[in-house]
Amino acid sequence: MVEGTSAPIKIAARGVERHFGADPGTAVHALGPFDLDVAEGEFVCVVGPSGCGKSTFLRIVAGLLRPSKGDIELYAEASSETPVAMVFQDYSIYPWKTVERNVSFGLELRGVSKKEAVERGRHWLERLGLADFAKAYPDTLSGGMRQRVSIARALTVEPEILLMDEPFAALDAQLRQVLQDELLDIWQSEARRTVVFITHSLEEAIVLGDRVVVMSARPGTLVQSVDVPFARPRTPELRARAEFNDFKNELWQLLKGEVEHYMEAVRATGATDGGAR
Amino acid sequence: MSDSPQVVLRRTASDAEKNPGATARRRRMIEVGLAILGPLVFLGLWEVCVRNDWWLDGRLISSPWEIITSERLREAEVWEAVWVTTVRMLKGFVIGTVLGLILGVAMGINRYARAALNSTLTALYTVPKIALLPVYLLLFGFDEAPRVYMIATVVFFFVWIYTMAPIMAVPMGYREAAASFNATGWQMFRHVLWPAALPQIFVGLRVSAGVAVLMVIAVELILPRDGIGYFVNRGRELGLPDNTFLGVLLAALLGIVFVGVVRQIGRWMTPWAPEDNSPGQI
Ligand SMILES: Nc1ncnc2c1ncn2[C@@H]1O[C@H](COP(=O)(O)OP(=O)(O)OP(=O)(O)O)[C@@H](O)[C@H]1O
Ligand SMILES: [Mg+2]
Repeated sequence: MVEGTSAPIKIAARGVERHFGADPGTAVHALGPFDLDVAEGEFVCVVGPSGCGKSTFLRIVAGLLRPSKGDIELYAEASSETPVAMVFQDYSIYPWKTVERNVSFGLELRGVSKKEAVERGRHWLERLGLADFAKAYPDTLSGGMRQRVSIARALTVEPEILLMDEPFAALDAQLRQVLQDELLDIWQSEARRTVVFITHSLEEAIVLGDRVVVMSARPGTLVQSVDVPFARPRTPELRARAEFNDFKNELWQLLKGEVEHYMEAVRATGATDGGAR
Repeated sequence: MSDSPQVVLRRTASDAEKNPGATARRRRMIEVGLAILGPLVFLGLWEVCVRNDWWLDGRLISSPWEIITSERLREAEVWEAVWVTTVRMLKGFVIGTVLGLILGVAMGINRYARAALNSTLTALYTVPKIALLPVYLLLFGFDEAPRVYMIATVVFFFVWIYTMAPIMAVPMGYREAAASFNATGWQMFRHVLWPAALPQIFVGLRVSAGVAVLMVIAVELILPRDGIGYFVNRGRELGLPDNTFLGVLLAALLGIVFVGVVRQIGRWMTPWAPEDNSPGQI
């Protein structure tokens, strides 16, 4: 049970660690031990210095990668077809599929007929303002539109748990804000899914999240988990409030130490850690 | 919601994560073992079939054991044949590769070079290369040259296509990043186009390496004078099945070694390229 809520646990991570490489000389301790509980219907944002293992953690939750130690349990409805879906930073949508077929991809993999899959994807295409581009190929879309396709693709399978790895990082500031607001609206108006959302932007984390989890420099561990004190439903105007900035500064104090830590490590190793992504 | 039946998805370490070193070694051993086992099974089946006269007639066809233990292996003639064939193949391979790279690069980079040469080369590409042999004999005499050029020709076409295509396919983003630093044409080639295409080029070189072995034997069978192909042929003519099958085995071995060498050079020259992204099974 997560403090202050009565919702059951959806994700329970216990002592999760990940190392890369077999050779002791070059092996990297990327993550952990990391513990995290996420309640059903909770929107958790994870922040931390570059290379601290955020993506690694998310990929383990998604089942794309196994931990080296520890375990994560996800509690899903037995009836759900695709309990977990992920939105990747680089979109990972397929250039050889039209927008609507990209969006229906997850359902088609589940054996849903093409016609029905496309039909069910249409709702999300409309919701994300892509209806006019259903038959277009991704190469003809802008970066922001591609990211919407990738979000629509994840939402179309109606996942209980939605994992998002810096989904807006590649977008410009305005577009980023637009998509944040859209996601906020979608999440608050539809059945509230459990979301783990990785970001480098504290503002984004506060606008969207019920809770912000701050991770340490690599190997990432939990520094602190802070509840976001702003009531739902939130509106984009929240950003303009004085309390918003105060809270952001508070979080920045927490994170700053870790980022400095990371910068020192980078300087000490001659920035050889740069490949972190 | 929480009253409905639940399932738990568990993400935990498997053996591969708990003992990465041991797992990597074990995987490597299994791979090497299978790589050896495959041919052994094949040779074993061959052996059994010949001995028992199943399918294969023991009077006409030698078993692998007979070949390996045959007296012939100790004769200088055999190793001379291997040497002649290897040198001939390497000459053809190098000439074909150099020409293929030059034209592949030129046509990959320059649209006018492409426009000028594409249809001609494509037309030539479709000509069965063996049909060129009489032409080559007329052009280059009857000595070593036409033999080497036959191999070079076939290698050339593979290298050309496998060089041109990946250079043309280098993504815009890579090009633009260099262009934004005002890269010269040579710099663009040296720092972006060539390394971006190199992994694919090596795919082509591996294909060509196999084809070079194929061609050298074919040429030696058609123009019998020396080499493994001649050795094979003479075994048939003289009714010495050992000879024939020894030749076939030697050709296969030459192929394995040569393709392996090219692959290894590729590994050294493209350390950034993942050997494969596949996790091992779908
Ligand atoms: N496949 C891999 N092989 C080797 N090392 C890896 C691999 N994936 C990640 N790492 C290393 O693990 C560490 C954590 O990587 P990860 O991508 O999880 O960081 P991150 O917190 O998502 O960083 P960023 O905020 O920059 O995206 C890094 O040091 C990285 O170099
Ligand atoms: Mg990352």
